[in-house]
This record gives sequence, structure tokens and C-alpha cells, in this order.
Amino acid sequence: MSVPKPFAERYESALENEALSESLLAFQRSWRDTRDAQIVDLEGIAGMKADALRDGLAAMKDSVIADLPAMVTQFRTAAEAAGAIVFEAATAEEANEYIAQLCRDQGTTTVVKGKSMVTEELFLNEHLEAAGIKAIETDLGEWLLQLDDDRPSHVVMPAIHRRRQEVARILERELGVPFDDDDIPAMVRSARTALREHFLAAGVGITGANALVAKTGSTLLVTNEGNGEFSASAPPVHVVVAGIEKIVPTFGDAMKQVRLLARSATAQPITTYTSFFTGPAPSHEMHIVLVDNGRRAMAGEEWSSAALRCIKCGACANVCPAYQVVGGHAFGHVYTGPIGLVNTAFHHGIKAAAGPQSLCLSCGACETVCPVDIPLPEQILQVRRRTAEEVGLPRSRRLGMRAYTSRRLFGLGTRLAAIAALPFRRGRFTRAPFSGRFTSWRTPPAIPLRPARSRAALRAESGAVAPTEASGRHVTLFMQCVSDRLAPEVVLATADLLRAAGCEVDVPNDQHCCGLPAIDSGDDANARRMARQTLETLEGTDDIVTPAPSCAIAMLNDYERLFEDEPVWQERARQLAGRVFDLTGYLAGPARLPDGTLARGDTRPVAIDHFCQGANTIGREDALDSLVRGLTGANVVQLEEADVCCGFGGSTSIAAPGLSAGVLDRKLDRVAASGGRVLLTDNPGCLLHLRGGADAARLDVEVLHVAEYLAARLPDRE
Amino acid sequence: MTTSPVLEELRARARDSQSEVHELGTWADVARFALELAGSEDVAVTPTLAAARPELATALGERMRQPDPEAPFASIADAAVGIAEGMLAVAESGSVLLAHDELADRAVSMLSRIGVQVVPRDRIVASLDDAAVWLDANEGAASLVSLVTGPSRTADIERSLTIGVQGPSDLHLVILG
Repeated sequence: MSVPKPFAERYESALENEALSESLLAFQRSWRDTRDAQIVDLEGIAGMKADALRDGLAAMKDSVIADLPAMVTQFRTAAEAAGAIVFEAATAEEANEYIAQLCRDQGTTTVVKGKSMVTEELFLNEHLEAAGIKAIETDLGEWLLQLDDDRPSHVVMPAIHRRRQEVARILERELGVPFDDDDIPAMVRSARTALREHFLAAGVGITGANALVAKTGSTLLVTNEGNGEFSASAPPVHVVVAGIEKIVPTFGDAMKQVRLLARSATAQPITTYTSFFTGPAPSHEMHIVLVDNGRRAMAGEEWSSAALRCIKCGACANVCPAYQVVGGHAFGHVYTGPIGLVNTAFHHGIKAAAGPQSLCLSCGACETVCPVDIPLPEQILQVRRRTAEEVGLPRSRRLGMRAYTSRRLFGLGTRLAAIAALPFRRGRFTRAPFSGRFTSWRTPPAIPLRPARSRAALRAESGAVAPTEASGRHVTLFMQCVSDRLAPEVVLATADLLRAAGCEVDVPNDQHCCGLPAIDSGDDANARRMARQTLETLEGTDDIVTPAPSCAIAMLNDYERLFEDEPVWQERARQLAGRVFDLTGYLAGPARLPDGTLARGDTRPVAIDHFCQGANTIGREDALDSLVRGLTGANVVQLEEADVCCGFGGSTSIAAPGLSAGVLDRKLDRVAASGGRVLLTDNPGCLLHLRGGADAARLDVEVLHVAEYLAARLPDRE
Repeated sequence: MTTSPVLEELRARARDSQSEVHELGTWADVARFALELAGSEDVAVTPTLAAARPELATALGERMRQPDPEAPFASIADAAVGIAEGMLAVAESGSVLLAHDELADRAVSMLSRIGVQVVPRDRIVASLDDAAVWLDANEGAASLVSLVTGPSRTADIERSLTIGVQGPSDLHLVILG
């Protein structure tokens, strides 16, 4: 096995591998259904809601993380009392050398290993090999990868990126007998026979641990194949390698983890073997290597300590749309998936984490399935900020962001672009005579010569349609930079809808960008610059409404943190947060018009995409559906995976177009299957992305912002 | 005392994990059942069980195999049938809790092609929490305690569920008495 190749190489080769994204797509879809059913089943068994089970497990892990030194001592004392020898390794080198020395002492050159992510983290196999010791992986997937000099791409299903035909060839090469590509059971049986001699010959068996029980010094190992138990039992020396964060106080706490682990990992109720080792078997030795390797540092920082709750189930990867397209070799380092973007920074350094974290779309799906409630999206952003500080942003991105902070420069830029693109303007699109990696899969939008802010209709007087709770309220319309310049019709429609609900609409002319692109890039300095400007612009009215939920979420979730060292600005951010609404939330809340008010016009079937961040971070999956149904009586069709990201991801679609295109494909397939002829979204970035994608894919679907769709049905618009 | 809803839960959960639950009256019945599964081959028994239940050893007679204490794994690998006594059966998950201190016991449970795990009826518990209470009370009980749930399996090749890897490919859970 080798260390990971450079990120750019891993990313490019992942994009070329279509079989990879296809098999991960099938996997993610089936996992989601089975896992959800398992969680419902567990609620019945435990007599508790899933959230309560998750919170209980998280709180138990937190209690250990908060008290690590004492827990390590307690575990160590108990394990030694049970007859094990405990070694605390501060670094990978210390752990590796201790284990190599054990092998030398044992006079063995063959070691069998159960599946263990921590030994991958340490590059233990490479270290042992350099010491003349052959470590043989005995988990089927790990063994196959080892035979082919490959690395795991998923924490739980290491070989998920390999096809059965490839497996058959690997086994033929290794065993010298032919394998039928379709006879997977024969391939599996071969592992039993081929590995048997190694189990019996090895002088040392190495396993990981899923938990360490402090009270009794027991180590918990779960497997499905039985290879871990065999590795731990047949050789005369059993070495358990585990991170210190695996400690749990009692067996009861271990069971809390058991209940959620397999359900979250492989969507099984429990693994075949759930094994507790307490001290060595008679006449055998047991060593426990407790690994730090960055963990105490992780526990010591407020933003990162929750990542130590991780039970390595891989659920976060199983819902990650970016992971689905490129797999774990690109989306991760040794640890893959969303959690890998966080813990890599501690185990392997910020440089190792820098490449993969640029692929995160910030959709927030990972956090919704984490069985220990790790705030992954926030932590990934924090890693981005660290990357920006320590490794630096790419020059183009840095300059681009700086230019973006200036409303005038941005205005001038879009105006020049509008003039340049004018000859190619066709309706809503810019159809250039050439296409490249940014445009072949997504037709660029038309760039209007006049932004929303300079159109008379924006400030026109139009009447209320019906009284609402918001009647007479002064509403500041935050247009959002993208809508203002690239989709002015969305801004105009928003103003019309607010007036229809009886609001007095004010549109300050000096507004620009909320700072979200900079926040997403980890560029806090520019983010603060834009946030201050936005705060100054928006102060002084009753409510603030924006047609861009992404910006509302930035103001609600990110501003307070941005100004954590500036109390005056932070207070202003808090004041603002109390008054900000995204348009959907406002129309569904205070500005709710009576049902049926807009029941006229367009009768085409409507599919509704759910803005992923809205669904995942503020839990409003269905607000848009019920709003559209209620107001218009439209035929809203079922859109599968409506909550899954469309692939826009802010600047990700520019930084990683191949990834963005892959995620968009998944969405458009679902849109095509839905039968909808209109696709609604309420986020302007997603709107332009989906509209351009639907056009490039020649889908017979009109993509509209919900504001456009609703405003077109206002009486005076008919 | 065990109520039948708990047994029914155990049966359903065990079936979900592809093991089968049987109810037998005596150790002699267990011997007959194991011999039937073994066909013309021998039946391995964990040494601890063989010593504790002479009636099982008697009923198996010459067909009983024991691991060689010097080389427990090599000597018993791939026995047709292996019998072990479980300390608990857990209804919630359809699992049997095996407590094996001796390597020879582990070898029989781990490597037989067909596993037979016997649990006396009064040792069925409802939940994993009950198993944790038992483990606490017994301070871990043995150097290896395994909750075994169904035959060994893998889905490592194209996520295709395949039964029988290093451990048994058939598992029978016998409720005794």
C-alpha cells in the first residue's frame, strides 16, 4: 500500500471514473432508504426518538473528551489489572515503532490485521514493511486492496470503488486460478482458504477498536466477517491500536454506541460480531496502543473537539453529494468523506486537508445523519479558514474575492460583461459559439445591461392583493448580488409579491453582497468587509427580506461568529438576525396570502427543488411545497431527492466544475423523472445553475425562481 | 422467567439476521440435532461445554471432536458443526452472547462451518442494556465476550451480501428447556 497521491491527481482520475460515481450513487440511494428504516426501527426498540438517542450518545462522548487524561488513566489502570500491557503513543512514529519492536521480540515477520482505520492513519503497514515485517490485511475488502496496492476509499466499505471484474482479476493474479466475474461467493470463499495459513502462521495479530471501556479495560471490536476476532485470537500476541477518543465509561455506554453504529454504517441493526476483549487469552499477550497523534490538540480547541465524538460509521460520506461523484480517494485523505475534511487537518496536517475541503458544497447533508451530531459544515468552514490563513487561497480566488467586495467594481464588471456578451444573448441565456469546461454542461445566463436596482419597476406602486399580518410593515428588500445583476426579474417579482402582501418596500441602493462567497472560501477578512457594509445598509426598517435563502442563512448563522472579536459589530449582527427572512419564509409566515389567492395562469405540473442548506440547516424542507400548493393550487409532482444539493455550492461550481456537473446530473435525472414541466427553486444561485444545466441537457423544463412563478399569477400581471 | 413475546422477538430478529431459532428439550436433543446437521462428519464442541455438560458428550459419543490444546485453531478449523453454550440470548438484536476465555472454545465457535449456539430458556434477555448489566455484573466475564448475530458475512465486493467468510455460514440458535 502506498501513501495518497497528490490531491489534483486523485481528483482528476476520480472524475474520469464513471463507474465509480455510478456505483456510489446506487449505494447512497439504497443506504439512505435502509438506514432511515433502521433508525425508525430503533426508535421502537429504544422507546426514544432518534434525536434523543443521538444526543445521548454525543453527550456521553463529550463527557469523555472533556476529561480525557482521567479517562485514559482509568482505562489504562483497568486494562492493566486485566492483564493487558498499555502503551501511550503521542505520535504515529511512537506507535509504529512500538509495534515493530513487538514483532521483533516475537521473532515474527508475519502479522495479520483486522480492519483498522487508525493503523491506516499511522501508515503502520508501510512502517512494518520497512522493518521487514509483512502485515496482511484480513478484512476481505482491505485484503483485495492490499493485493492491488490500492487504498480504502470509505471508512466502512474500503473497496466500494472497485468492480467485481477487477476483483476477479486481482484474485486470479494472486491465487493462480480462474474466477468467474459473476461468482462473487467464490471470490469470498477464496479469502477464507487463502487467508487461513496467514492466520495460523502469524506471530502477532493487530486489530483496531470501536470503543474502549474505561471501567473494565475492555476493548470493543465489531466485524461482519469474523476476521477481527480470528486475528485477535490465533496469534500469540494481540495488539489493539486505538485512538484515545474511543474511550467510553461503561458497557452500558458502549451499547449506546453499538445501537447506532451499524445502523449508521452499513444500515444493519447490529454487526455479526460485537466483541469485547478484556485482557489476554490464557498463555497469550495483549497490548493496547493508545494513540494521540493530534487528538489532544483536537480536544483542546473549542471548534474541533466535537469531531472526536466520531464513531467512524461513514454516514456523512453516505449522504455527501460531492463524495458520490468523486469517491473517497479525492474527497478525503486517509480518512474520507466529510469527517475526513476535518480530522485530516489534525492527523496529517492542514496541507493534506487543503485539497479535498475545496470540494465541499456546504449543503449540510452530513450533519443531518451524524449519529453523534458533529457540526461538520461549521467545522469544514473552520478548516477552510485555517487553510486560507496557513496555505493561502489560490491567487485568482484571492484577487477575485477582493474585487467582489467592491459594489462599484462588481457593477462595472458585470456591465462590461453584459456588453461583451450582447451579441450572443438569446433569451435567458448567453449562447457563445464555443464551449469549454465551464459552459458545456451549463449554459451561461444572459447578462442584462441594467441590473434590478436601476429599473423603475422595482420601486413602482402596486396594490395589496389581500390583507396579511405584514400589511403596512416596512420591508427592506435585500436583492442579493447575483439576482440584482444576473436575474433582475427575480428581484422585481419579489418586490411585487411583498407589495401584494401589503408591505411598504424599500430597496437601499448601496447594498451589495452579504459576504457569503468569502465566508465559503474561508476568507474572513473580506467576509467581514462585506458583512459590515451589509449591516450598515440594512439597518432601520421593520423586516428584511431577500429572495436568496443562502444569504439569509449567512446573516443568521455566520455573522455573529464573524464578529466574535468585535462586540459592537456582533451586537449589530444579532439585531439584524432577528429581522431577516428569506422570501419563502416571509411569504409562508407574516406575509402569507389567503389560500387560492394566486390560483390562475400556468397549469403545467410543477417540481419543487428544496434549497439544500435550507432543508439541512434550518429544517424547512416542506415550506416551499405547501406555500406553492396553498397559494396556487398547482399540480405539484413528487421530486425524489429534492433535499439533495443541485451542485451549485456557491464558488464550488467555479472552482470544481467537473464535480459540480456530476452533482447537477443527479439532480436533473430526478427532475426529468418527476414529470414536472416547471422546476421551482427559491435560491438564485441554484436557479441559474439549474436553468443553465437543464438547457445544456435539453430538458423540456422551465426553471423558475418561486418569486417569478408566484408573481406571474398576481392579478395585475395576468 | 421468559415471556413468549420476548422469545417471539428473538425469533424474528434472529431470522432477520439469517440465523434460525429452535426449541429443544435436553442436551441429548441438541446432540441429535447437531449430528443431523453434520451428516457423516463429526461435531466439534467447545471444551468448556463438553466438561460442563457430560450428557452432551455422552450423546455425541465417538462423533464428538475436541480441539488439540496445542494447536486449537489449526486442529478444529472447518469442523462441520461446532456447538457452544451462550450465556445470554438478546431478543432486541437476535444475538447470542458467548463468553470464551479459552482459545480452544474460541476456535470451535469461530471456525466451524455450521454454528450451533445453545442458550437455556431462562437466559433470554430483552435488550442490549440487559446484556450490558450482565457484563457489568460479571466484570467483562471472559477474555473474549462476543455478541454473535447471524452467520458471518461480507458485502465488500460490489455491496453484494455474501454469507460465510471466516466464520460459520449457517447459524442455529437453540433455546433449551
